[in-house]
Amino acid sequence: MFRFQSLDEDCTLEEEDEGLVEDEDEIDQFNDDTFGAGAIDDDWQEEHKRLAGLEDKDGLGAELALGGGGMGGESDLGAAQTSTSTHLHSAGHAPLSSLKFSLSSSELPSDVDDRGGGDLAESLARLILEADPAIAGVGAAERPGPSPSSSRSSLSALQGLNRPGVPAQPSSIPHPIQPHQHPQHPQHELPPGPSASGLPPGPPLSSMLSYQQQQHLLRRGTAPMAQMNSHSIWENSMGFGPVSVTPGLVTHMEDSPLMSIIKEVGLPKRPPQSRNDEVRDLSERVPPPRSSSPVIGSPPVRAVPIGTPPKQPMSHALNHQIHHPTAVHVRAPVQHRYPPPFPERVSPNTLLNIANSPLCRGPFPPGVGTVLSQIQHAQLLNSQVAGFPRGGPGPPLLPVGSGFRPFFGGPPPPLGHRMGPPPHGHLNHTPPIRHNTTHLHPQHRRMLTQRMQSRGGDRGRTGGDRRSRDPYSNLMTQKEKEWVTKIQMMQLQSTDPYLDDYYYQNYYEKMEKRQDRESDSSKKEYTTKLITPQVAKVEHTYRPVQFAGSLGKLTVSSVNNPRKMIDAVVTTRTDDEEKREKQVWNKRRQILYTVEKMYSMLLEVQDFEKRFVQAPEEDREALLERHKTNTTQLCNSLREKEWDNRVNDEQCVMIMSVRKGKRLISRLLPFLPSPQAAAVVMAISRNLPALAKKDKQDQVLCWLVEPVSAVIQSLSSSTLTDLLQELQGSEGQLATVLHNKFGVTLLYLILSEGERMQSTDPNCQLMDDNRWTELVFSVTRELLSVPSSSLSPPLFMPPNLLSLFSRYVDRQRLDLLQDKLQITSSS
Amino acid sequence: MNYVPGTASLIDDIDKKHLVLLRDGRTLIGYLRSIDQFANLVFHQTVERIHVGKKFGDIPRGIFIVRGENVVLLGEIDMDKPCDTVLQQVSIEEILEEQRLQQQAKQETDKVKMQALKDRGLSIPKADNLDEY
Repeated sequence: MFRFQSLDEDCTLEEEDEGLVEDEDEIDQFNDDTFGAGAIDDDWQEEHKRLAGLEDKDGLGAELALGGGGMGGESDLGAAQTSTSTHLHSAGHAPLSSLKFSLSSSELPSDVDDRGGGDLAESLARLILEADPAIAGVGAAERPGPSPSSSRSSLSALQGLNRPGVPAQPSSIPHPIQPHQHPQHPQHELPPGPSASGLPPGPPLSSMLSYQQQQHLLRRGTAPMAQMNSHSIWENSMGFGPVSVTPGLVTHMEDSPLMSIIKEVGLPKRPPQSRNDEVRDLSERVPPPRSSSPVIGSPPVRAVPIGTPPKQPMSHALNHQIHHPTAVHVRAPVQHRYPPPFPERVSPNTLLNIANSPLCRGPFPPGVGTVLSQIQHAQLLNSQVAGFPRGGPGPPLLPVGSGFRPFFGGPPPPLGHRMGPPPHGHLNHTPPIRHNTTHLHPQHRRMLTQRMQSRGGDRGRTGGDRRSRDPYSNLMTQKEKEWVTKIQMMQLQSTDPYLDDYYYQNYYEKMEKRQDRESDSSKKEYTTKLITPQVAKVEHTYRPVQFAGSLGKLTVSSVNNPRKMIDAVVTTRTDDEEKREKQVWNKRRQILYTVEKMYSMLLEVQDFEKRFVQAPEEDREALLERHKTNTTQLCNSLREKEWDNRVNDEQCVMIMSVRKGKRLISRLLPFLPSPQAAAVVMAISRNLPALAKKDKQDQVLCWLVEPVSAVIQSLSSSTLTDLLQELQGSEGQLATVLHNKFGVTLLYLILSEGERMQSTDPNCQLMDDNRWTELVFSVTRELLSVPSSSLSPPLFMPPNLLSLFSRYVDRQRLDLLQDKLQITSSS
Repeated sequence: MNYVPGTASLIDDIDKKHLVLLRDGRTLIGYLRSIDQFANLVFHQTVERIHVGKKFGDIPRGIFIVRGENVVLLGEIDMDKPCDTVLQQVSIEEILEEQRLQQQAKQETDKVKMQALKDRGLSIPKADNLDEY
């Protein structure tokens, strides 16, 4: 935001300038002009009415007075075109405006009417008016006639003013005013940028052109300055890259220098079109920085993803604002109140332009410097900074994070002094702290000096010189270089360098040893060593967040920590335990397997009968054969090796330990040949306690009763005795037997069988030896001694037990037994 | 200043004039402006130099970005040394013409060779430059 330099004789430029300089340190110019002391609080509408009232008057004096009075004050951006239009309108006969009109009359084109740039025309006229003293002289020169082509369109705009009551005018009047919220001084409105949003797009463009041409027209009359200085100024203001300033704005900016120049020196040449610059500038756009996305629910991301380039502070912000031509607002050439000071990357073109400008600025008083926009200031300063000795890669340094403020103090005063140190620095001395850098942020300055010192002159002078002259150097900033280096270092990370990079490590060791040997101890170490980053061998397991004392865990899942489907906890057992368990399992599996196999055989055997009947004649033999083999196999499976009749106790017991095995045996028994069957029953009775214990859960021993009884009935007396003996077995076995239902049943069965044998066959050998008697005696003793509670009721009570007992025990005991066993005499 | 002592890095080559030979056989000369971790290169004021025999021609190309994997070799050009004493610079049209003629001649010889082999019942399968696997 800059103040319009009024050209009133009363107001000296220097005064204005100094005041400006002082204030810039403390106040914000934008703000000030908008709302502060610089803002004029008049109501433009009132002004309009007032001035409109002058329309009918034929008062040159009135106009002049207005014009003069208006000039005396400060100016604000914005337009009260109303006043202008009416102004001019009524000034049809004024000698002052006759200047314009003479011009217009000489080259009036016919078509003029709705150049919607009525506002421009107004501003045009105002400008002309305000450039009063200068124009007078100029106008005289101009009168002979500028080229019609150039001025035609411009003058057509003027002509639009001439026509009274042109409808376009009043309609166009409000438009430009609308964007400007602030009240405006009636007389000192500058032409609004034609690109202001309120304007219709089409006509302003042409009127823009016309305005420029008009300017051109105005300036042409003078002896061309042909001074590179001013020309470069125009270059600057119109042509510098990043600021895509529209011509209207440019001309606005040009106003004050124009006026001052006109006043003091004369009119310079017309500036070239700035349109090209906009196109050119797009190439200098910086891509926005890539962001590193946070990962929620994961461990904190310590590093940005590898591909992220270093962040450019504020560069994109500036560039965005710069590259929006439509956003240019007349009152504020830059959008933000506090725009960032520089772009981090200044285009070389820009630098060139800026760099030239201080050189060119000689003839002008320092006050002219305030004309430049903030960006220009920034760029100027930047170029000064960038002009430091570039012994090494020294990027155009920026005050990172420092505010806009410090640069205000900097530019204007030193502008005049900038020619001192040449832009090319010298390599071999520390850079002088220039006065224009004293306003840098202290951190910035430190960084600056530090970098200059650290990057020594290990490059040749010529190279340094060349590089310092190379406007395209340091496109890759220091940060980016460090970033690339960082990535390269990351690739060298290793937890075990001797594993990853054996040969290099050895080579390096050898080299070091050799160096130590060869060099004397007095010499310093010249070579710099590369210290690769050491990565600690730490296990990086991610533990999800847990709160102490809370129940359960937080369910947070992410890519790094996926949710567990089953929160299974691994429990490891010791080897011994595992072995034992395994063994047990293996054994069990084996038993089951055996059982299954036998079962299948058994089923075949059982089905034999059926099949035999159904099978035709010829197959019967085959079937029979198979049957036999099956049965033998079955028998064999129970048998011990090479012992024909002895049954493998263990095997039997094993089989019996499984429920299915018991069932198997029960079904199998009828098919076994009798000695084997007897052996099996023996085995059962022998191991009855164990079996009983195992059977506690299943209680299926009783399945065995029937087949066992069948077997018993087929037994011989000696075998029977043996069986009974087996059943009794060791001490205390009988008690256990009695405890078990099956056992009791078995016992009874045996006893009853024995009784039957005795009663039916008087010649039975049961009595031949005393074993039977003794056994029975012991049984009865046991029966009597055992408490009733522990005596389980049998499955069934054989009928002849009583007679058995009566044979062996006396009456008393018999009665007791009878009670105990609930033997009824009739059963 | 060497950022990574004891290693090779392109950081120190920045802003210097380089000559790079690409995998497709092109030769580019330009100022190396920027690099990255893949050794992608950004060249400024690039010139493509075509060599045919003793003649060469420069075609200005502007800004080049070369993908790192396509670089065969890259070397700094010493500005102080006199260059191209033996070679003779010609205009672009001429060098392109020369190149075309050279390609044509090569094709002719290749054709003749293939024909000769074919007559003898031999054949050499065409090596596919792009397919290395």
